[in-house]
Amino acid sequence: MDHLLQSTQLAQLAFPEAVPAVTMAHYLFVSAAMFTMGLIGFLTRRNMIIMFLCTELMFQGAGLALIAFGRHHLAADGQTFVIFVLCVAAAEAAMALALVVLLFRHKETLSAQAWKELNG
Amino acid sequence: MINTTLFTNLLALAPDTHAAASHAPAVTEVGTGPKWILLIIGLPMLTTLLCGLYAMLGNKTKLPAWTTVAGAGIAFIATLAMYMSFDGTPYTVHAFDWIQIHFGDKSMIANFSFYIDTLTIYWMLFVTGLATLIALYASEYMSHDVGTSYCRFFGAFGLFVFSMACLVMGDNLLMLYLGWEGVGLCSYLLIGYFYKKPEAVAAAKKAFIVNRIGDLGLALGVYLTFVHFGTLEYAALFNDPALLGYIDSAKTGGFSAIPTIAQWIPLLFMIGAFGKSAQFPLYVWLPDAMEGPTPVSALIHAATMVTAGVYLIARMYPLFLVSEHALPIVAWVGTITALLSATIAMAQFDIKRIMAYSTVSQLGYMFAGLGLLTTTGAAFHVLTHAFFKALLFLACGAVMHGFAGQLDLRKLSGVAWMKGWGIVGVTMLVGCMNLAGLPYITSGFYSKDMILAEAFITPGYAMIGWILVFTAILTAYYTFRVYFRVFVGPEHAEPGDEHHDDDHGHEGHDHGFHPHPPGWAINIVLITLACASMLAISLAYIDKAEHHGWAGSMMAQSTASFHSPYAEAAHHAHIEHTEMHAVDGPVGHAAPGTVFGMDAHTGMIIVSGLGAIFGVLVAAFFHGPKGWQGLFLGGRTEAAKCRMDAVAKRMGPIPKMAENKWYVDEIYHTILVTPLRIISHIFHWIDKLLVDGIVNIIGLLPRVLAWILKPSQSGVLQGYAVSMAGGMVLLLLVVFVLILQGGAS
Amino acid sequence: MPVRVSVWDELSGPEGCLFASWLHTKPDLYPRNNAVDTIISPIALYLICVLGALGVAAALPRRNKALEITGGLIFAAAIGLGVLVLGLNATESGQPLPNYFFYPFAILALGASARMITHPRPVYSALYFILTIIASCGLYLLLSAEFMAFALVIIYAGAILITYLFVIMLATQAPSSGSEQFIDETDSIAREPIISCVIGFALLAILTTAMFRGIGDLPAPSNPELAQDSVLLNLPTKVERILDRAGHLEVGERLLRNDDGTAAIDLVNRTITIENTDLHTTRTLNSDQWPEKLFAGNLDRLGYNLMHDHPMTIEIAGIILLMAMLGAVVLARKHIELEEDLKAAQARKLGDSMNQPLEAGNA
Repeated sequence: MDHLLQSTQLAQLAFPEAVPAVTMAHYLFVSAAMFTMGLIGFLTRRNMIIMFLCTELMFQGAGLALIAFGRHHLAADGQTFVIFVLCVAAAEAAMALALVVLLFRHKETLSAQAWKELNG
Repeated sequence: MINTTLFTNLLALAPDTHAAASHAPAVTEVGTGPKWILLIIGLPMLTTLLCGLYAMLGNKTKLPAWTTVAGAGIAFIATLAMYMSFDGTPYTVHAFDWIQIHFGDKSMIANFSFYIDTLTIYWMLFVTGLATLIALYASEYMSHDVGTSYCRFFGAFGLFVFSMACLVMGDNLLMLYLGWEGVGLCSYLLIGYFYKKPEAVAAAKKAFIVNRIGDLGLALGVYLTFVHFGTLEYAALFNDPALLGYIDSAKTGGFSAIPTIAQWIPLLFMIGAFGKSAQFPLYVWLPDAMEGPTPVSALIHAATMVTAGVYLIARMYPLFLVSEHALPIVAWVGTITALLSATIAMAQFDIKRIMAYSTVSQLGYMFAGLGLLTTTGAAFHVLTHAFFKALLFLACGAVMHGFAGQLDLRKLSGVAWMKGWGIVGVTMLVGCMNLAGLPYITSGFYSKDMILAEAFITPGYAMIGWILVFTAILTAYYTFRVYFRVFVGPEHAEPGDEHHDDDHGHEGHDHGFHPHPPGWAINIVLITLACASMLAISLAYIDKAEHHGWAGSMMAQSTASFHSPYAEAAHHAHIEHTEMHAVDGPVGHAAPGTVFGMDAHTGMIIVSGLGAIFGVLVAAFFHGPKGWQGLFLGGRTEAAKCRMDAVAKRMGPIPKMAENKWYVDEIYHTILVTPLRIISHIFHWIDKLLVDGIVNIIGLLPRVLAWILKPSQSGVLQGYAVSMAGGMVLLLLVVFVLILQGGAS
Repeated sequence: MPVRVSVWDELSGPEGCLFASWLHTKPDLYPRNNAVDTIISPIALYLICVLGALGVAAALPRRNKALEITGGLIFAAAIGLGVLVLGLNATESGQPLPNYFFYPFAILALGASARMITHPRPVYSALYFILTIIASCGLYLLLSAEFMAFALVIIYAGAILITYLFVIMLATQAPSSGSEQFIDETDSIAREPIISCVIGFALLAILTTAMFRGIGDLPAPSNPELAQDSVLLNLPTKVERILDRAGHLEVGERLLRNDDGTAAIDLVNRTITIENTDLHTTRTLNSDQWPEKLFAGNLDRLGYNLMHDHPMTIEIAGIILLMAMLGAVVLARKHIELEEDLKAAQARKLGDSMNQPLEAGNA
């Protein structure tokens, strides 16, 4: 426990010093990569639930970027906004899943390809 | 020389013709004339409008006919008054301003005004006179059709007289063109009167289209006249100093000094004249025009419209003089036409067709006369031909009317001896004698003689002369062929196709065919015309010494006057009994010719007179009936057969070819019509495939675009998401790479 | 001291610009941080992106399982390459530990998210997502956002993802009868993998190219103690409570507040001023009396920021949640009548799929 606290504290204590090797660029890269993964997943998967899961992944990427920038500017605003992102993600998840269940009941399939009546 | 005191009174009333007998056209100054002249033009137009009104009101009587007769009659009286009151100087009568275009220092003025000189008066006299007579004839002839068609006929008739008046009396080339087109239109309307008959419709179209070809020439001539001389009005044109200069050069044969444009104008006018007056190669419409009613054939295609070409050349004679080749071409074309149509007429069996070809042939004579530098001869022949040809046509029409449309001379015989047909027979004989040109007793002889003699006087045209003499013999032959077959001999008549039972009051049963003798209107007109033909002899003797007759005196004061130096020299030599010597003239420096050593006039009297008599005798031999009616030479006993049949069989294919008009129509069809049809088919396909194709492709473009863009509207959510994401990435790429250049600001 | 510069400022300048250095040179307007410029060479970066694209495109669910595995390997290679290239720079620093912690978490995050989008079975997708969340947690911790790390696990993994799992169970799609798979085609085949990967990794390349233009280091505050604990000034009640628990407050004593309501604490010298409300006297605690527990943690800072700077947003967030709840209730009430035979067919399909022998699976 102490060790854990110490390592966390170490992260805190490392706060005053610059971390030359792991720059914000690293975190942002990871954030962008996660966002990209989410985007690809959204575009490729047909299962509606998986599609929404991928949008959640995109939220994750955005959240990581927010936290990183918050750390960069040494303010807590980034984390505050991640709280709100969390709120919105929760709300959206609720609505989305309710809609998916309804749609599933209409067509007996979770495929997003089944809903293409508004085609030209 | 026969001096008739009977006509000296007329002479006293005639205008003073000795005044300006010069070598130059006598247009020195132009005054303004009285407004009642406009009656001549206005009255026929009024009758047309009234006939239209009658048609609208549903008139079923002969009122349109009487209206037209009255209108034409009053116009004739006005013409006579115009003649009486003419004092020698030409004048214009202005109706209203029409075209007045001014640009810069030039201007084109073509007013609706009328130019009166002796040529005009001469022409209008017989036009209005014949119009009156033939309207009277038509009132009975067309009486089967009372109702709207009757009104239509007389409406077109009145319009025709109006157009002819515009043509003849107009004071500028544009008025002439207006009248030209107007008579063409009326000819179309009247030939196609029986519009339910396909042959009539085809004939009307053919007439109009062939005329169109001539009209193109005329139009181009008018344009060129305006371009070269700067004016369209006769008064200004014939006083133009440039033109006068050209004429002076032309009189001595110096054509190289005259610019080519000026030499081309008459060639173009000539094409127009050939179209309208049915000369080779544009004569093919005239025989087909016989599909129209006979009064139409008589008025338009014998006496008035077809003379418009002659009038054109006569009016524009100064312009024709300045061209080196125009008048020779006119002469030769006229001659060829005369010979060609005479040969065709010899083999036809339809009497109206024979008369039509004879018209073409006689027109050829008139053109030859113009080309041979005798406008007097041409003009006089126009007058006499108008009378006797109208007479011949009307008589044939009476036969057609009475025998239910029968015109085949193999099916008619001895008509003159049938009850009620005596007048027709006698007047037909008078007409035939005039056409054949029997010496001294017919006016046709005098007019034809003038032209024939001139052929030998003007040097270099002796060949034309002999051809025309030969044609005269042929003319006499085919004319009397008709007479000896149809009007004398054993009585025989087969009805034609237009057998109307109701006219003769036979209902329910047919018991043979009864011919329908003509009524009073037809008889009166035939008699009048026969008398006029005979009385025209006297016109040859008025002013004979000075001007070769009344016609000459009328021509001498107009723009058509031209005193050929060759004729002068021949005349001098004849009167003074001296040798003829060479003179300078349009055809060069040469001496006038002679005929068998005699001077041309005397020689021709003998030659053509003997020729005509010979032709009559040959016709009597081959076609005449037995006995005195065939001059004791003939041997025909029935309508259908005669001695000629055996001879024709021995001549092989020639009679058949002549009967088929030497296949000229078929040649035209192959050379002109078929290629045009092929070209029109080609253009039809080009239009359909190329033009329509392009338009259709343009119409297809939206559809193709939509077909390309449609798959993007798949309805699948992720498809749209891909598009959005892809678009965003593209945008970022553009912004990042191109605009920000990867970061360099 | 590294200069804190904004990202876009760093975009100008000749050395930092990948393309401009090829095209033309610009004057050096801003000071450059050479260490950051060479953090990764552009060729390596784009190679990683390309490999990643290929790998993910191949790994997305498809009929050819061998290709899937190959794709996974390629993707792993891409990540390995990235780690290698970035890790080589880590040897310069003198503080290795945070570096080493970053890489595992990052690899885990990327790998789990890749597996999540390529797994054919929805339940496994959700579980891999939970793994991604946990990896993100680790990264948050490294970024000194402990509260957010906990919040993420509790709310996201604990609530949202569980809801997803429930719905996945509820709306299972049985494969159509007659097909050999025991997973429905909806899940087993991805649609348009190539174009999506191209788009996605092109986006990644653009974003990362912008990033590696000399993004500043994670900076340090000028006065660390002040920066970290400065929020304590605004939390006098908390300070009092801690002092109380530490036993520094006598009866009748409380923390002195300044006129503007902030606590009278000197963070630099570490002194606290206490006042006696009865006697109206003050005394000062010196630095060796500074309680151990008196420090402002991430939670304090975050809480203060939330309440002080974004009060309205909290209300709005509440309203959003209310809306979602109402919406879910309304939607769930919809009763849909299905035809009987359709229901029977669905039941039959489910039964068939359950009865078929399961393969080793695509775990």
